[in-house]
Amino acid sequence: MEQSFELRRNDYSLSDDQEAVRQAFAEFFGQECPTTRVRAAEPLGHDEALWHQLAKLGAVSMALPEPAGGDGATLVDLLLVAEEYGRALAPVPLVEAAVTARLLATCPGPGTGRWLAGNAEGTELTTLALHPVRPGAPQLVPGGAVARAVVGLAGDDLVLVTAAEPPRLAPNQGTAPLAWWDLSGPSRQVLATGDAARGAYRRALAEWKVLTAGALAGLADAVKRLGAEFTKTRYTMGVPIGSLQGVAHPLADVEIAVAGARNLTRKAAWFLEHEPDARPELVPMAFAEAARAATTAAAVGLHVQGGFGFTLESDVTLHFRRAKGWSVLAGDPRAELLAIGDRLAATVH
Amino acid sequence: MDFSAVVLDDELEAFAAEVREFVAAHVTDEVRAEERRTGSGFNLALHKAMGAKGWIVPRLDRARLRILELALEAADAPLITLSTTRLVLSAVERYAAADLRAELLPKVLAGDVRFCLGYTEPDGGSDIAAAKTRAVRDGDEWVVNGQKVFTTGAQNCQYTFLITRTDPSVPKHKGLTMFLLPLETPGVEIGPIHTVGGERTNVVYYGDVRVPDRYRLGPVNGGWAVLRGPLDEEHFGAGHTDGLADLNIGSSWARLQRRGLAAAVRWARTARRPDGSHPIDDPTVRVRLGRIALDVEAALGTPGPMGRVRVSETLIRGSADLVDLVGPEALLPQGTEGCWEDGILDYAHRFAQGTAIYGGTTEVFRNIIAQHVLGLPRPVLPGSKALVGAGTAR
Repeated sequence: MEQSFELRRNDYSLSDDQEAVRQAFAEFFGQECPTTRVRAAEPLGHDEALWHQLAKLGAVSMALPEPAGGDGATLVDLLLVAEEYGRALAPVPLVEAAVTARLLATCPGPGTGRWLAGNAEGTELTTLALHPVRPGAPQLVPGGAVARAVVGLAGDDLVLVTAAEPPRLAPNQGTAPLAWWDLSGPSRQVLATGDAARGAYRRALAEWKVLTAGALAGLADAVKRLGAEFTKTRYTMGVPIGSLQGVAHPLADVEIAVAGARNLTRKAAWFLEHEPDARPELVPMAFAEAARAATTAAAVGLHVQGGFGFTLESDVTLHFRRAKGWSVLAGDPRAELLAIGDRLAATVH
Repeated sequence: MDFSAVVLDDELEAFAAEVREFVAAHVTDEVRAEERRTGSGFNLALHKAMGAKGWIVPRLDRARLRILELALEAADAPLITLSTTRLVLSAVERYAAADLRAELLPKVLAGDVRFCLGYTEPDGGSDIAAAKTRAVRDGDEWVVNGQKVFTTGAQNCQYTFLITRTDPSVPKHKGLTMFLLPLETPGVEIGPIHTVGGERTNVVYYGDVRVPDRYRLGPVNGGWAVLRGPLDEEHFGAGHTDGLADLNIGSSWARLQRRGLAAAVRWARTARRPDGSHPIDDPTVRVRLGRIALDVEAALGTPGPMGRVRVSETLIRGSADLVDLVGPEALLPQGTEGCWEDGILDYAHRFAQGTAIYGGTTEVFRNIIAQHVLGLPRPVLPGSKALVGAGTAR
């Protein structure tokens, strides 16, 4: 936790450059990814053309180390892209590709350049297994149904596992391209081992959580707007339902949750980029808070639209399914609270 | 975006040392004990010492301001009356007649003149524009009749920043006039009200109080505009975005919760359960503590009206949970045998409830969020424009 004698800034505002990044990707997703395109990509949850287009804009490559083709962008810039990706529910493996590319750049091995380039250029996906490998126990891997390579932690080893073809889609409520991967088989390449492996994997997982938290905050903001807009024009008893406190106050609660989650996520990204050891508890905080905000926002956004909100025709159901779908991939979001508590136990004296 | 540590150069270090010295000298255990006993939000010697330092309205750069603010807060300095004085002073500087301004300003800066907020009325609650306290012109004077509640610090102040009704026949926001009413005036009667949070506030009765026109602030029936400045600052803060200001007006309450949380962590590390283990060894305990730490961090990072609601609810929920966790000893007040860390958990639990009411209830803030952040239509409420029951005002 923060030291009492240390004076820190608490400034969440975006610089002009950051605002330009945010706006550029907001425009891209706004133009290229209407909800019709999100629906068209179901049930796989992957749009090859959109993914290629996004990668060409540098969404993944910009935050690679410069020798690996990076552009000096930080995790904060990546987070701003992730917020817009989440807002649009874009059917692209942005977070997995970005995190895995950065991991491969940190722990390169013979031939990994090809996999890194595939992620950076949007041509071939290598993704990340979010749970440690247990022998003989396959796990659901995000992006796993559109990837031919997965990086994961097996014991003390950071391993890369490849397949001739992506495994079959595991159809799921979140309409994400999940698939079962068994990373304990023989055909795997060790990229790092021991502390280096564990450290790099832990870092990648933290980045995945922060970026996914950003996507969840963007999703929550979008579904909140959908709900709020509906209540401005839907009338009951002669008044717009948004003027009724029973409707307006739950939406206000969502605004409170979204505003908090967005800032907390940005702060976690900043620390992960600039001072990763100073406030490690911010990552579980951001993830738990964003997951909660998205879950609440989706439920309220759906509910204020009444029966319509519950129909498949309504776009809020797209947000509703992904809010949960993205939140549970890395495990129980409430388990993050234990990580925060562990840190408290170790640092408060 | 910037969360970096401010580099304290020699001059800033010297200032921080000066502040520490000031706090040690003037925010003593006796001052804190008196505050716990009286809940007055004020200590005359401390206030005068602030004046001697030029800190009633400090003309300091932003880093120094922040160092000063956080040090005073961490020491539990009783400065509620200072904060109301500052809020009113901006309206005085803008709207008071030149001679009144010239008379008061040096006294305020020296700590000799202090202001409180005469807003709320017994049946008005957060709807302060519904004020019924009447001011009627009589030559060069006004005759004030009515009653205010929650005039916190009236017993410490020389003037109250009073909302009065000067025209009950027009929509409620258009018939208000503000006064800086001297509390010494005959007909003003101050009575204490004590809160479950340990604060002393007041009911103030105004019976045929004659106040010269020179104490009027701004135009007759133009009071709402005069009030807006201080009210917006009370609702939203001053709006600095350099990372050296709070994002919302409840941040000091969130920091109180952080101190309570730290006290509970220390309890969990030292207390023993019947089986000999420490509570902190239990993951369910660490999850609960983690939840509260998350709430505090999120509350401090949530801006504006959203943050104000988030802080209050964080404090109400979290302080209750910490009491559950620690058990009955968490309810022992400061100074009693066996109380935990100066009774901070007892205090926070009681104090929390008021934070959802001060300066407008959390429902008022949800209305603000709904209308001004989400752009939802205004509620159509009977009496939203009219002054309900104006004819019965005393």
